[in-house]
Amino acid sequence: MLSVHGLTKIYANRFDAQAGGVRDVSFELPTGTFFTLLGPSGCGKTTMLRCVAGLERPDAGRIAVPDRVLFDSATSVAVPMNQRGIGMVFQSYAIWPHMTVFENVAFPLRVAKGRRLAKQDISRMVDQALTTVGLADYGDRPATRLSGGQQQRVALARAIVHRPQLLLLDEPLSNLDASLREEMRVELRRLQQQIGVTTIYVTHDQGEALAMSDRIAVMERGRIVQVDEPRAVYFRPANEFVASFIGAANLLTGLCLGDVAAGALGRVRLADGEAIVSQFPAGCTLGHHATVSVRPESIVLTAGAATGDNTLRGTVSAASFQGGSMRYDVAVADRTMRVIGPADPVFPPGTTVHLSFPATASVSVG
Amino acid sequence: MTASLLAFVKQDPRRLIAVLVGLLLAVLMLPPLWILLQDSVTTTDAMGDVTGGTVSHFVRLFTDKDALTSIWNSLVFAGGSTVLSLISGGALAWIVERTNAPFKILAYLATIISMGTPYILHVIAWLFLLGKVGPLNDVYRLLTGSTNNLFNVNSMAGMILIEGFLWSPLVFLLLGATFRAANADMEEAARMSGATVFDTLRRISLPLAMPSILALALFVFIRAIGGFEVPALVGMPGRIYVLTTDVYEATIVVPPDLGYAAAFSVVMVAIVAVLLFYYSRLSRNAEKYHSVTGKGYRPRPFDLGRGRWIAGAMIVLNFVVVLLLPLLTLLWMSLLPFLRSIRWSGLAALTFKNYRTVFSAPGYVELALNSLVVAAGSATAIMLITALAGWIAARRGPGGRILDQLATLSLVFPGICLGVAVMEVYLRVPLPIYGTLWIIGIAYVIRYMPYGMRYVYSGVLQLHRELEEAAGVAGASAMTTLRRIVAPLLTPALVAGWLFIFLIANKELAIAVLLASPGSQVIAVAIFDQWVNGQGGELAAFGLVWTVLMTGIACLFFAQMRRGATDVYGN
Repeated sequence: MLSVHGLTKIYANRFDAQAGGVRDVSFELPTGTFFTLLGPSGCGKTTMLRCVAGLERPDAGRIAVPDRVLFDSATSVAVPMNQRGIGMVFQSYAIWPHMTVFENVAFPLRVAKGRRLAKQDISRMVDQALTTVGLADYGDRPATRLSGGQQQRVALARAIVHRPQLLLLDEPLSNLDASLREEMRVELRRLQQQIGVTTIYVTHDQGEALAMSDRIAVMERGRIVQVDEPRAVYFRPANEFVASFIGAANLLTGLCLGDVAAGALGRVRLADGEAIVSQFPAGCTLGHHATVSVRPESIVLTAGAATGDNTLRGTVSAASFQGGSMRYDVAVADRTMRVIGPADPVFPPGTTVHLSFPATASVSVG
Repeated sequence: MTASLLAFVKQDPRRLIAVLVGLLLAVLMLPPLWILLQDSVTTTDAMGDVTGGTVSHFVRLFTDKDALTSIWNSLVFAGGSTVLSLISGGALAWIVERTNAPFKILAYLATIISMGTPYILHVIAWLFLLGKVGPLNDVYRLLTGSTNNLFNVNSMAGMILIEGFLWSPLVFLLLGATFRAANADMEEAARMSGATVFDTLRRISLPLAMPSILALALFVFIRAIGGFEVPALVGMPGRIYVLTTDVYEATIVVPPDLGYAAAFSVVMVAIVAVLLFYYSRLSRNAEKYHSVTGKGYRPRPFDLGRGRWIAGAMIVLNFVVVLLLPLLTLLWMSLLPFLRSIRWSGLAALTFKNYRTVFSAPGYVELALNSLVVAAGSATAIMLITALAGWIAARRGPGGRILDQLATLSLVFPGICLGVAVMEVYLRVPLPIYGTLWIIGIAYVIRYMPYGMRYVYSGVLQLHRELEEAAGVAGASAMTTLRRIVAPLLTPALVAGWLFIFLIANKELAIAVLLASPGSQVIAVAIFDQWVNGQGGELAAFGLVWTVLMTGIACLFFAQMRRGATDVYGN
C-alpha cells in the first residue's frame, strides 16, 4: 500500500502566468493497484511521480509505504531516492548506452546498499527479469543496438529486477509507434498483474488510462479532480474538465426545472427551449444552472421523427467515415454536437436528423 | 558543528564537491583579477610592497597622447581584422557548407593544419611574404625597376591583413556550423517562390544567420583586441602600438612600470568585460534563431551551375593564401642559411643544415618536451576540474552558477594581461614556482578553464537527464552515478576538450611571453626570441617540424569531434 497525503510542490512562474506543480494531493493505493495519473501536459502528473520517486523534494506533505515513511515535511523525513527501493521506467527509457543489456538490468542489484549479491544470484535475477519482459536472449547485446520497443522492455526489466514494492511508469509508451503502443498496453498490464506490484502510471493518453488502470486520477492544474474506476471516470465525469478531457463529450447547458436529490434523475431546460432528462450525481436546485455531458457514441441518429424524453432535432453539417464508425457534426439550434454512429446508415451533410440518447447517458457535471 | 556539516553534505553529496571545486577555482581565478586592480591604483616600492594609493597611473593613461593613440589603434586593429576574417571566413563557410562547389576538402585541410600551427609562425611567414625582401615587393621592384616598396607590412594595414588571415579559419569553422544547422527548407521555399541564389542568400540566409554572425564578430573582436603576436611582430617595428604591446613594454622595461601596465590591463579587462556581456546576450539570441529540425535532416546544397567553378576557385585561393603560401615560405626560410629573396640563384644555396641543427641540438628537444608537458598537464588539470564543475553547473546543482562564473571569469583577461597578473601574484606568493614551468602551467589553467567548462557543459547537456535519474532511482548514490554513468558517457566531450586546450596552449604566445625564463621555455616564446634574434632559418625548420606534429594531434581532435557528433546518447 502507498499513501500520499497533502502533497504540495509548487514551481515558480516560468514561461507564463500559470505556476506549475502539484497542490495538496492525497490518495491511498491498496497493494497491487494499477493507478494512473491522467491529465494534459503541465497538470502536475509527472511532478507527482517524481516526488514519489524522490527526484523532487515536495514543499509539504507525506508519502509512506507500509513499513516506512519516505517523505514527511512535518518530521523532516526525506529518504534519498537511491534508498527508496522503487522501480521506475522513464519516458526516454534512459538505457545507458555504454553498457550491455545485461549490465543495464544488473545495475540496481550491483549498487544496492547493504546487500552484496553473489554473482550467480545477480545472473539469475537478471535472466529472470529479462525473461519476464520477453528478452531472454538479449543480455549480451550492446544497449545501443535495440529498437524502441526493446529499449522499453529493458527499462522495464531494470525497474523490476530488484522486486520493488512500487513501480513508477512515466509515459513509457509515448515514444513508441501506434501499433506497438497498442501491443505494449496489453503486455504492460499483463506483466503488472503477473508480478502484482503496485504501479503508478503517468499518461496524457486517455485511451491508455482507460484500458490499463484499476483506478484513474484525473489531474488539472496540480490538483486531482476525480479518482475513480475507468468506467466511472468515463460515464460519470465529476466536472466539465473531466468530461471534455476524456472522450470529446458534448456539454449542454441549461436550467434545472425542479429540485433534484443527489443521484436522482432530473429535468433540464436547455437554452433553445428543449427539455432533457439527466442524471444528477450531486443533485440540483430549481432554477440553478446545470451543465450536462453526453458522450458522442451514446447518441442515436434517426432520419424519421423520434419520440421520447431526450430527443433533439438538427442538421448534419459534416460527416466523415472512420472505418468502423461514422463521425458527424450535427447543428442543433445554435450549437454543434458530435455524434459517433455505426458505419451504416450514412447521413450525408444537409440531412435533417433526430438525435436521441437515454437519460442514463446524460450526466450533470456541474 | 561537525554534525550539521555532515548532515549538510549528506543531504546532497554534490555539495562537498561544489565546495571543494569552488575553493580551488576561487584560489586560481580571483587573485589575478584582484592584483591587477590593486596594482593599478597603488604605488609599490622596489620589493613590490604597496606603499600607497594613487590614481596617477590612470591619469597618465588618459592624458598621455601615446596611450590614447594605443587605445584607438587597438580598436581599429581589432575592428579591421574582425571584418576581414568575417568576410573571408564567412564566404568560405557558406560556399563549403551550402553549395555544390568543388575542392571543399581543401577548406577543411587548411582549418585542421592551422589549428596545429602556432600563430607566431603564420605571422613570421606573412612578414616575409609581404616584407621588404619578400616576393610581393620583390616582384614589384623587378617589374617597375623602382627601388621603393609597394607595400609596407609594418603598418596598420599590414597588421589588419595578417590578423584577419589568422582568424579566418576559426570563423570558417564556427560559421560553418551555423550554416549547417540552418533549415534548408527556408532557403528552398525562397527558391520555389522564384528568388535567385543571390536573392535567397541576401534576403533569407543572411538575416537568419545574422545573430550568429554578430556574436561571432564580437568574439573575434575580443580575441583580436587581446591579440599579441601581430602587434608585437608587425606593429612594434613600425612603431605602431596597441594596448597589448603597451602592457608588454611597460612590463619589460627596467625597472618594470607595473602600475602603468596594470592600469592598461584594467582598461582592457573593462572593455572585454563589456563586450563579453553583449556577446553572451547575442549568442543566447543566436540559439533562439537556430531552426534545426528533427531526425533524418540533411541540408541540401545550392546548385550554383557554372558558378560552382568560381566558388571552387575561391576555395583554392583561400587554401593558397591561408595555408600554402605561409607553409611554402617557412619551407623556403628553413632551407636557407640566411633570409633572402626567392630567386633561382637561391636554389643553389639550399641546405638541410637548419633541420640537422633542430634534430641534434639538445635545446630543441627539451623545448618541445617542455611545451608538450606543460600543455598536457594543464589540459589534464582543467578537464579534471571542469568535469566536476561543469557537471554540477549544467545540472543546476548546488552552487552551480557560482562555479560557472568562477570557471569562466578568466575570459575577461587578454592573454598578455593575464601574464602580467599571474607574474605579479606568484612573485608575491611564497611558492618557489616563479621562473619554472609551473607558473606557465598555472597561467594556462586559468586562461583555458572557460574552454574546458564549455566542452563539459555542452557535453552534459547532451546527456539526457533521465540517464542519471535512472541510476539514482535504481539505488546508486551520487558518487556512484558520477563514476559509473556520467564519467563514461562524458568521456568523448572530455577528450575533445583536452585536445582543444592542448592545441591552443601550444599556439598562443601572449600568456607565456612574460612568464617563460631561460630554464623554462615553451615553443611560441622560443620562436619569438629567435625571430627577434634573427635566427629565421632555424625557427622555420623547427616550426615546420612542430606543425607536422601538432597537425597530427589536430586530426585526432577533429576525428573526436566527428565521433562525438554521431554518438547519440539517450536523446
